[in-house]
Amino acid sequence: MIKDTILEVQKQFKEALALAQDPLALEEIKNTFLGRKGKVASLFSTMGDIPAEERKVVGQLLNKLKIDLQSDFDAKISGFTSNTLKKEWVDYTLPGYSMPKGSRHPLTQAVDDMLSIFQRLGFDIAYGPEVETDWFNFESLNFPPNHPARDMQDTFYTEGGGILRTHTSPVQTRYMSKHEPPVRIVAPGRVFRNEAISARSYCLFHQIEGLYIDTDITFADLKGTIELFCRMYYGKDVKIKFRTSYFPFTEPSAEVDVSCFLCGGKGCRVCKNTGWLEIMGCGMVDPNVMKAVNYDSEKYTGYAFGLGVERMVMMRLGINDIRLLFENDVEFLRQF
Amino acid sequence: MIVSIDWLKDYIDIDMSLDDLAEKLTIAGLECVVKEVGKSIPEGVVVGKVLERKAHPNAESLSVCKVDVGGEDILNIVCGAPNVDAGQFVPVATLGTQLTPDFQIKAVKLRGEPSVGMICAEDELGLGNDHSGIIVLEGEHEIGKPFGDYFTSSKILDIDITANRPDAMSHWGVAREIAAITGKEFKKIPISLDEQGPSINDIANINIESTDGCPRYTARVVQNVKIGPSPKWMVDRLEALGLRSINNVVDASNYVLMETGHPLHAFDFDKLKGHAVNVRFAHKDEKLTTIDHKERELSQDMLLICDGEEAVALAGIMGGTQSEVSDDTVNVLIESAYFTPAAIRKGSKQQQLSTDASKRFERGTDPNETLIYAQDRLASLIMELAGGTLAKGLIDIYPEPIEPLTASLRIDHVKRVTGIDISKDDCKLTLERLEFDVIKDEDNTLTVKIPTFRPDVEREIDLIEEVLRINNLDKIPSMSRMTISVAEEYDKFHPFLTGLRNFFVGYGMHEAVNNSLVNETVATSGIWGYTPLKILNPLSAEMNMLRTDMVQPLLGSLRSNALKKRNNIRLFELANVIEKNDFSETHAVEHYNLGVLCSAPVWGLNWTGEDKPADIFYMKGILEHLLASLNFNYKLKENTNRDEFEILYDIVVKKAVIGKIGQYKMEQFEKLQLQYPLVVMELQVGKLFNWYNPKKQYDPVPQFPSIFRDMSLVMDKTSKAAGIFNEIKQNGGKYLVDLVLYDVYIDDEKLGKDKKALSLRLEFRSDEKTLKDEVIDDVMNKLFERLKNQYGAQLR
Repeated sequence: MIKDTILEVQKQFKEALALAQDPLALEEIKNTFLGRKGKVASLFSTMGDIPAEERKVVGQLLNKLKIDLQSDFDAKISGFTSNTLKKEWVDYTLPGYSMPKGSRHPLTQAVDDMLSIFQRLGFDIAYGPEVETDWFNFESLNFPPNHPARDMQDTFYTEGGGILRTHTSPVQTRYMSKHEPPVRIVAPGRVFRNEAISARSYCLFHQIEGLYIDTDITFADLKGTIELFCRMYYGKDVKIKFRTSYFPFTEPSAEVDVSCFLCGGKGCRVCKNTGWLEIMGCGMVDPNVMKAVNYDSEKYTGYAFGLGVERMVMMRLGINDIRLLFENDVEFLRQF
Repeated sequence: MIVSIDWLKDYIDIDMSLDDLAEKLTIAGLECVVKEVGKSIPEGVVVGKVLERKAHPNAESLSVCKVDVGGEDILNIVCGAPNVDAGQFVPVATLGTQLTPDFQIKAVKLRGEPSVGMICAEDELGLGNDHSGIIVLEGEHEIGKPFGDYFTSSKILDIDITANRPDAMSHWGVAREIAAITGKEFKKIPISLDEQGPSINDIANINIESTDGCPRYTARVVQNVKIGPSPKWMVDRLEALGLRSINNVVDASNYVLMETGHPLHAFDFDKLKGHAVNVRFAHKDEKLTTIDHKERELSQDMLLICDGEEAVALAGIMGGTQSEVSDDTVNVLIESAYFTPAAIRKGSKQQQLSTDASKRFERGTDPNETLIYAQDRLASLIMELAGGTLAKGLIDIYPEPIEPLTASLRIDHVKRVTGIDISKDDCKLTLERLEFDVIKDEDNTLTVKIPTFRPDVEREIDLIEEVLRINNLDKIPSMSRMTISVAEEYDKFHPFLTGLRNFFVGYGMHEAVNNSLVNETVATSGIWGYTPLKILNPLSAEMNMLRTDMVQPLLGSLRSNALKKRNNIRLFELANVIEKNDFSETHAVEHYNLGVLCSAPVWGLNWTGEDKPADIFYMKGILEHLLASLNFNYKLKENTNRDEFEILYDIVVKKAVIGKIGQYKMEQFEKLQLQYPLVVMELQVGKLFNWYNPKKQYDPVPQFPSIFRDMSLVMDKTSKAAGIFNEIKQNGGKYLVDLVLYDVYIDDEKLGKDKKALSLRLEFRSDEKTLKDEVIDDVMNKLFERLKNQYGAQLR
């Protein structure tokens, strides 16, 4: 019975509140319902007539009613205050407080994107030094001394007999010499080539190396992994093409082309009208490399791949001068 | 490497389109594109005669011409060239001519006058860069003749040969690949030699002193040749490859090189003293002038061809002027030899001389069949082109013949590597087409003799590559279901770095990537004081050392930005810096560091009117945030060793200096006219990562309210805030949880001269109870007493 009354009061309040158009009307509602002699107060005053066993429940209900009405009322009045009652006019079209905007370098961003794809495919990340030994950079990777293959990579030599690594491939043999198979890693890093600096080549660039060795790895696994990577990086419609190539540390070796992401293979400026873009080198790990780190090539097979980050970033962003990536012009950097 | 399609057809039938051929060769490992060499003129460009030229009524620089191109109508053409005139014979691009992929000739009106065609300038036809006027042909010409008839062109394959395939650096090599791919037969040109001269052993004397550099040397002599120009077919074929014709004998030698891939040399036999040849390494202080007219000083590992007295050629690299075939040459000695790759490579490196011959020898030529074929082929070609009589016999010095290697291919291993089944028959077929001789054919194994023209093939894995690359590479499926080998440990460093990157981007910083190679000034002014590691063969003196810190290269970035009038510079970079250290195997120790540089306002111009230059306090705030978020306690220790800094601190964690933070003196950078203070920071984040312990358990959330107390202290201006802070922290009791400085006030009149007021807010809280005011009053009183005694502080 008293519950019905409570509901009735609540209903009346809501209706009145909805109709209220000005502060005066609000003041009246406040007096009528929430005032010292208002309807809620008078309901509380009937508490004495309630049987003791119900009193607790009714008390809770009344308390709730009071809180609900008050909060509805507060909400309404604050709406009035901010919309119509505020004394000072504020121009809300003023811009937000300015915050300096930072940016990631497109190269490290691309490295992160690629690494996270390979991590999803189960690869761990490994590292190696930038100043390398000839053994790790060349000999362990099946580049014999005085071999023309060494000319493929013009090398910087450092005092004391080190060299600046010409590729991230030495991380392969470094990692293998410390871990038993299976190994499954990607290795990002800076590499160096002693080449004249031009729009197309810089003395330094970034590579990501991949390596997977286990008992039953075939070229088909390599192809599947590369294809999956390309689909995740370039989109599901990308087409890939393998063609035979040569790297001393893989046999068979291949280069991977992807259909041009800009024109979809029709031919454009980015792909020089071929419809294809060369993105990485890969192949099955050469038995001589396994031998260098005491792996049994009769027991294990594996694949390796390496891609140049700058090349991929330049193609993707339409950058035609690699030096732009190392100038750190803030007008360039802020775009990413 | 260029091969001509026309020439290739001497050895193999080609019955597919050239684009398909190029694609198939590319997949098999000879990356190539089809090109047209020589001048090719678009169809539709014909010879026309200008019958009449009038000035354009509406444009001063244009002419209106009547041109006869041999068609039914005389064409009306508007021409902008200053040199056009009546009576000229000119190339005319007629309607429909596709001049470039984007430009087709259409009937148009130019400034009101109709124009149906275009009279062409040199650049418009791809014949040169001249655009100053149209091409005017001299003399009389047939009107309407295709202009292309004046030029010849031929199709070539431009091939990118990988370092392992010397065999493919010839028309033979490419023909062999096509044979393997298509199954068509590879044919050599048959040779028959008519030896009418004296026995060669009676007239020539050949010796190999250094068989380790030259395992085989063969010679023939052709007498009474007539040196002269080569026939047109020979000149055209060589020119298509970009080779200049010299004379019939030299051209023939180049021709056989490009045909077989085996480099040869023709000597003027009578200039060889004693009619002798000796192959040996150079003596001390020996010199030779090569046919490029350079006098070369020879080191003792240079392999030489010598006559009875002195050096006459750099073996396998380049001949000498003295024994060169010239117009007066009558008798020719043909050398066809095998030089070891190592010997040629050393010589070529040392002389910095790379030739068509040296490129092939250093990768490995065929010491057997090809060498002899090339010798005989050149003798026969010389006689064909220059006449003469061939001496009887061949001198062939080959003390230790090089036998072909054998290798076995286990058929199940093909699948183990490639993932696909290639049948034994298929393997056999491919290997045989590649001229591998199958000498044993067992259940699971093929044993083959490897032709000596394929030095890249030695092992089973190499045979697997051969059967894969010929017609099978694109049959490999992409596995869509792969097993994953799970690593036992996994990398945490990369996520750590990504966190750092995002942290600094959040502060409005741009990530930079700088060159690791720097000049000596930059390398030696690094803030860690490391000895720099030198590059022994630098590109230039500007890049002859490795950087020893992050800050100096960032200053370089600041400079280049400031020169472009960019201000508001905030940069950070993560990379290795390198310290020379002789205890390391490579004499290098790498430190993975973070560098931060800022010359900017904290917020930038904005309508609230509030802004500040980002100074050392800004950077200290960032440092505090960073290290607190990584749970590191640290101390700053003033470092007075560097004059260029207004203030510089060492950042100390676990008693080790792991970073630097500082603000430069402005006068250091006057030239850059920086608008904001220059502050920098460098941290050894590689080391921090090793020490980093992510929080393992949470601290209970406070249950009881805090009590805040403010304290405003007046003290000498030179009293250091850090001291006051320490004092308060050490003596604030166990309930003190935070301390904030919220005002620094200086006013000589109100506070007295050389005084300042610091306003501090202290927060007290207990984890066990609501604190009573009296307890905190007591702490505050004691604190104040201490500060009064230690610093002479007064309450304000």
